[in-house]
Amino acid sequence: MYGGGNVFETMKATALADEDPVKLAEFEARIDRGEKIEPTDWMPQLYRKQLIRMIEQHAHSEIIGALPEGTWITRAPGFKRKLALMAKVQDEVGHGQLLYSAAETLGKSREQMIQDLISGKSKYSNIFNYPAFTWADSCFISWLVDAGAIVNQVANSKGSYGPYCRALERICAEESFHLKYGHHCVIHLATGTKKQREMMQAAVNRWWAPMMHFFGPSDKISVHSEILMRWKVKMASNDECRQQFLDMYVPKIWELGLTIPDEKLKKNQETGQWEFTEPDWEEFKRVINGDGPCNKERLAVRRIAEERGRWVRQALLAPKSKYVTPLA
Amino acid sequence: MLKSLDPRVNRLNLPEQFEAPMASIEALDQFETYQAFVQLKEGKPFEHAGIVHAPNEEMAFLFAKEQYTRRGMICNALCVVKTESIMVSEITDNGQDVYDSFSGSFSEDDSASFEIFHLLKRGKQHKYIGNVKAKDFEDALLASKQLYPRTKPVYNVWVVRSEDILMSEPEDADLWNTLKEKQYREAIAYKAADKIKAFKEEQA
Repeated sequence: MYGGGNVFETMKATALADEDPVKLAEFEARIDRGEKIEPTDWMPQLYRKQLIRMIEQHAHSEIIGALPEGTWITRAPGFKRKLALMAKVQDEVGHGQLLYSAAETLGKSREQMIQDLISGKSKYSNIFNYPAFTWADSCFISWLVDAGAIVNQVANSKGSYGPYCRALERICAEESFHLKYGHHCVIHLATGTKKQREMMQAAVNRWWAPMMHFFGPSDKISVHSEILMRWKVKMASNDECRQQFLDMYVPKIWELGLTIPDEKLKKNQETGQWEFTEPDWEEFKRVINGDGPCNKERLAVRRIAEERGRWVRQALLAPKSKYVTPLA
Repeated sequence: MLKSLDPRVNRLNLPEQFEAPMASIEALDQFETYQAFVQLKEGKPFEHAGIVHAPNEEMAFLFAKEQYTRRGMICNALCVVKTESIMVSEITDNGQDVYDSFSGSFSEDDSASFEIFHLLKRGKQHKYIGNVKAKDFEDALLASKQLYPRTKPVYNVWVVRSEDILMSEPEDADLWNTLKEKQYREAIAYKAADKIKAFKEEQA
């Protein structure tokens, strides 16, 4: 699961000046024809760099995203919910693997990516820096955070880089179970006892602001995003994804008798756009830069897993084996 | 000490701040990569599913089984090949058949066996086409060009020596028999429309 709001590197005005104009034209023509780019194709440095960054952030989000939900496996109500949540968390980690592999075809090793995650150099989806206080929080994540991620992933699966598209198609197919499972859990609480309803409402209240942050701030129209759109690296603006999410899910939240903690939230019937209170982007920045409630914990847990698993990898290491960049 | 809502995290006794940066993991984990191919139903061609990192072929098979065949209601067979054992042709685009760039004669020597995979559309998976007998990779490509007539352009070809493939045995097919019992992994197991309807009627 992953939202928009990718942190792309700012582009220098000269970024394309060093590229071979003939190869660049062929590359762009291929994208214009609707053909995918494959790992062995020539590609501009900027394309490679931005894709690595985007796919890597996505992969980290899957791995870190497994933590707040993973917390609830042992305390999920009943055998069936435990089984399902365990399967879901396993899927998320599997998605991380698929995405690391896709990024790896662009030339950055999986180990370097994990290293950059743990050192804080790479980012992941901001929403996972918030804690899951109750079972209802876990239900909110399974349904609505995954729903937000699907909006973004479906858009990106139509992008131009073959290995990323293939990984996303596989991921989207699996996400349909997550979405249905999460919805099922929320329905159960929202239509349950008074206490269950209160718990669900409290979770919606807690998660709404991070959910609005999830898609990232409004994209400024820039040369930068224009070129990423042209190369089909970025497929939809953050605002488009947010609007699509609101359109699909606000009615589904309301029909369960739940309220959303934003008095200004309504659909403008004339423009067809949702109106809402502007999210607090200062908080978004603060949290993404390390000062959220769980940033430290998430990275510490990853680091300790990496360090404690070291001896296993050491034992498995075959010194004669040769690393080869994956093909596709 | 780092305080968490999760008792399991608290039991790890993690420091509030690590004193030193983590030691580099770069050299430690560079396992070999393997390409995994999956056959969903008997008689269907194997398709490239993705890659796994593993310390050896058998672990690669296990990882691939978990990664690429734990979901879905059916699977019939799985195979893995070390990435370095795959000979990759050039890649073409815009309706140009990659086989057009291979020509010449090839030797009668058919002492080795090769498996051929084609990419029929950029962005899709490589699909298994068939087996050829030849002397080496180059001859295998030429033999494949002759043996498998094409109606559509092929953009990329992978050639693998048959002996380099680790394939599940037909009797292993029961590895995937449990998939049907794992309905809880499928969206279809979570129907709730009736519950919403009942709730709405109750509220009305």
